[in-house]
Amino acid sequence: MTLFRVAQAALLLTAVCRGADYVGSEACKTCHATVWNQFFRNPHYKSIASGKEAPENTGCEGCHGPGKAHIEARGGKATIIAFSEIGPEKTLDACLRCHAQTLSRANIRRSLHTQEDVVCSTCHSIHNSKAPRFLLAKKQTELCYTCHASVKAQFSMPFKHRVNEGVVECTDCHNPHGTFAASWKMASRPRMVDQKEGNEEPCLKCHADKRGPFVYEHAAVRVDGCEICHMPHGSTNPKMLKRPTVFTVCLECHNGAGTFGRTNNGVYQTPSTHNMADPRYQNCTTCHARIHGSNADPFFFR
Amino acid sequence: MRRIFLFTLCSLALAQPPVAPTTEQTGNARGENQGNYNIIDSFEVGYRFASVGGDGGMYDSTVNYGDGIRLLSSSLTIQSRDGHGTLFDHLLLTTQGLGNDPYQSVILRIEKNRLYRYDMMWRLTDYVDPAATISFGEHAMNTQRTMQDHDLTLFPQSNFKLFLGYSRNLETGPALTTIQLFNSQGDEFPLFANVHREVNEYRLGGEVHLFGMRLNVMHGWEDYKENSPQSLTSPSAGNNPADLNTLASFQSTQPIHGTSPYWRVGLFREGKKLWAVNGRFTYVAGKDAFSLDEMSAGTDFRGTPTQLQVVSFGNADRPALTANLTLSIFPTDHIVLTNQSSFANIRMIGDSYFTEIENGSMVSPVLPFQYLGIRTFANTTDAMLHPTKWFSIHGGFEYSDRHIGSVQGQSNLGDPAPAQPAIEQSSQLKAGTLGFRVKPIKPLTISVDGEVGRTSKPFYPISDGNYQAFRARAEYKVKLFRVGAYAKSDYNINSDMLTSFASHARQYGADGSWIPTSWFSIDASYTKLHLNTLGGLNYFDAGVNVTGESSYYISNIHSANLSAHFTFLKRADIIAGYSHVQDVGDGRATPAGAGLYSALPAFQAAQTFPLRYLSPQVRLSIRITPKLRWNTGYQYYGYREQFSAAQDYRANTGFSSLAFSF
Repeated sequence: MTLFRVAQAALLLTAVCRGADYVGSEACKTCHATVWNQFFRNPHYKSIASGKEAPENTGCEGCHGPGKAHIEARGGKATIIAFSEIGPEKTLDACLRCHAQTLSRANIRRSLHTQEDVVCSTCHSIHNSKAPRFLLAKKQTELCYTCHASVKAQFSMPFKHRVNEGVVECTDCHNPHGTFAASWKMASRPRMVDQKEGNEEPCLKCHADKRGPFVYEHAAVRVDGCEICHMPHGSTNPKMLKRPTVFTVCLECHNGAGTFGRTNNGVYQTPSTHNMADPRYQNCTTCHARIHGSNADPFFFR
Repeated sequence: MRRIFLFTLCSLALAQPPVAPTTEQTGNARGENQGNYNIIDSFEVGYRFASVGGDGGMYDSTVNYGDGIRLLSSSLTIQSRDGHGTLFDHLLLTTQGLGNDPYQSVILRIEKNRLYRYDMMWRLTDYVDPAATISFGEHAMNTQRTMQDHDLTLFPQSNFKLFLGYSRNLETGPALTTIQLFNSQGDEFPLFANVHREVNEYRLGGEVHLFGMRLNVMHGWEDYKENSPQSLTSPSAGNNPADLNTLASFQSTQPIHGTSPYWRVGLFREGKKLWAVNGRFTYVAGKDAFSLDEMSAGTDFRGTPTQLQVVSFGNADRPALTANLTLSIFPTDHIVLTNQSSFANIRMIGDSYFTEIENGSMVSPVLPFQYLGIRTFANTTDAMLHPTKWFSIHGGFEYSDRHIGSVQGQSNLGDPAPAQPAIEQSSQLKAGTLGFRVKPIKPLTISVDGEVGRTSKPFYPISDGNYQAFRARAEYKVKLFRVGAYAKSDYNINSDMLTSFASHARQYGADGSWIPTSWFSIDASYTKLHLNTLGGLNYFDAGVNVTGESSYYISNIHSANLSAHFTFLKRADIIAGYSHVQDVGDGRATPAGAGLYSALPAFQAAQTFPLRYLSPQVRLSIRITPKLRWNTGYQYYGYREQFSAAQDYRANTGFSSLAFSF
């Protein structure tokens, strides 16, 4: 039965392309009055208001396909494109007929969400949106938390970006429709992080003072990104650092060992003058105050 | 319908601070008709209070709500009823926290079908951070950041669009910082900094649809200014008053003026259900011009009177270029193949002059500019297969090649500085992904994903080297009941002949919601976040080079949320919630004592950081008239570290408000 419905939906989609049997939205409101009475608030109402769109691109049938068979059968999900019945790939195809032409959705076909069958109707509620913008099914934060429970836990930490407080949104840093390869790290992970000005970490949208360019860059920031030291969602540590104290953050790299670092000879070990038993040397940034980059000092003193 | 509404209301309550249960509970959501427009309006005005005991600085850093009258939230929607409004067809205005909340926002959208769309977002955040565990708390900040974004799109539904945009980001306020003087044996001195950072960004672009392809071009100019002068408020003996090093006066200004013009070009097309292609090219010409003038006077570590002037000026450039090309092929309705190639080239170049004059003598005449160049090429191929509606599988392979070149800077090289040889290295990543998703029955979804990556030469010990990630998730969802569970792991292991690094992050959790009746609903979640990292340590302890020890950090965080919603006689709503975060660390009772990986007590103490952060809350909302509700709420915040009480606090916060709806 399910396969039959999928096949039927596929046939209906094909019919959309052929421009068959359209009856117009006026016919739909006879039965779907509740939807129709509120539809003027819907961004999709633009297609009706213009009065110039082809039948397959406007009103109810723009998404649900031609309605003649549906009317003749006196309703039923098998006679119309019902998004609750068609598979995720068909839903994506249906929406992208119109919504593919946006740069922010250029990578939707390869996004992690699409791979997980999280498609348009998973997050967007076309007729029952509870959010003021973008027809989201819920407030954006709650929508994302539905699946990303571990991220919700991170934003409950003492130190976090103010997402729950409503002043930062998930989409400030992420593009749920997929992104281009990151220009930091090895261009591999993270995969759903948006990029400022097209090719920089999104952190720099707000933290402009960390952007530089600096005469003396802390290479870690440029090569591996901010998350090499910070936990961007939230942390139990001040400054959302990965560790509760600074010297443990620094010394995990600055141990002079291995073939790491710019010199291929390990990342600089702290010099012999740094007595790590002395508390003053356990607060690295007290001296290395410009740790994200400096224009005056290679050791980030000023 | 009522249950669905409650379900939404309940979920909204979980993540919100005590602002308002909702502004949409009163009145008729259909709005009022005025001429050709339909108007929905609501706003909530009230008084917020907060009483804090313990470390107020830590409260401000983590919560920061204060006392006072607030426009807690508001919403205005004006919609033309036929899509042919005179000046606009859609207007949306929402606000949050206006008055004096630490987190405020305004969102405005005005739209006239086919003609224009204007989006504005204004946000304000008060940022307080005593950061007592970092730099002895001497890098505390109390700044305010305001951000605004304006975007105007002309002809948004046409084949030719025009984009105009402006963004502004301003950070101001007092802060503390430190400086170390007068040489490497000197002391550290706390300073006052008057932070002023300002970004203005202007955008101009267009999009054209021709021959089935869409070309999107954006040109922007980002202008960055910083001038955060630092000064000494009074003569200081420094952080180590026992030494002879003192600072009598200090003044430093370091204005920076940066410009980052950028281009972004996108080209994309979907071709008749068989293929899709898109490309993107971006170029950012980041540039900073700066100068530093620093004057200080005091005594050095020998007690010798010292005057030091540091002058530096120059330019720093960071041109960054990226290019991406993605090709998707759909051989059948159930198969999607995509391949993306990306190239990124970032160079940091420029010139700088630095001079340091100590007691009238030039010490360090020139420091050469450093060079850092990063060039990365990556190619990713992904395949998705949906053979049936209830089963899908996906996999992919990525190859990345990164080349890093750098020139080290050294002091006292003479003027002009001799050329330094570039140090170069390259690294390759090979990563594979595989996952599937299955729906054995309609309400149940199970998804499993894995990724394995191997990097030939990680740049840092903690960079992704040999990593493997695994995710599994199951969700059972029927109309008014949902339960989900997940497990994630992310392991990263770098081995080297002298040191090793291993990081193991594991997360487990479950969450669910249930609406058994029209007057009761419940929502709960639990997450366990485990992290342990083991890294090699080399350091000096009183001049002795200590090797062979390890930094071993363990975090075991339990996070739970619970929210319940009750409705009484269709007139009163009560929402009760509880949030609990507890890091139990590695189970030890005292900071030191483990000592398994490092002999240094400070390192032992840093291996774990147990704490508890909890927040119960309750809110009451009573309908007075169909268009008026009275809301009140109380929320407690408790922060307690296990090894120190210095930053602990307890806070009682709440609000009382009236919500009007029209």
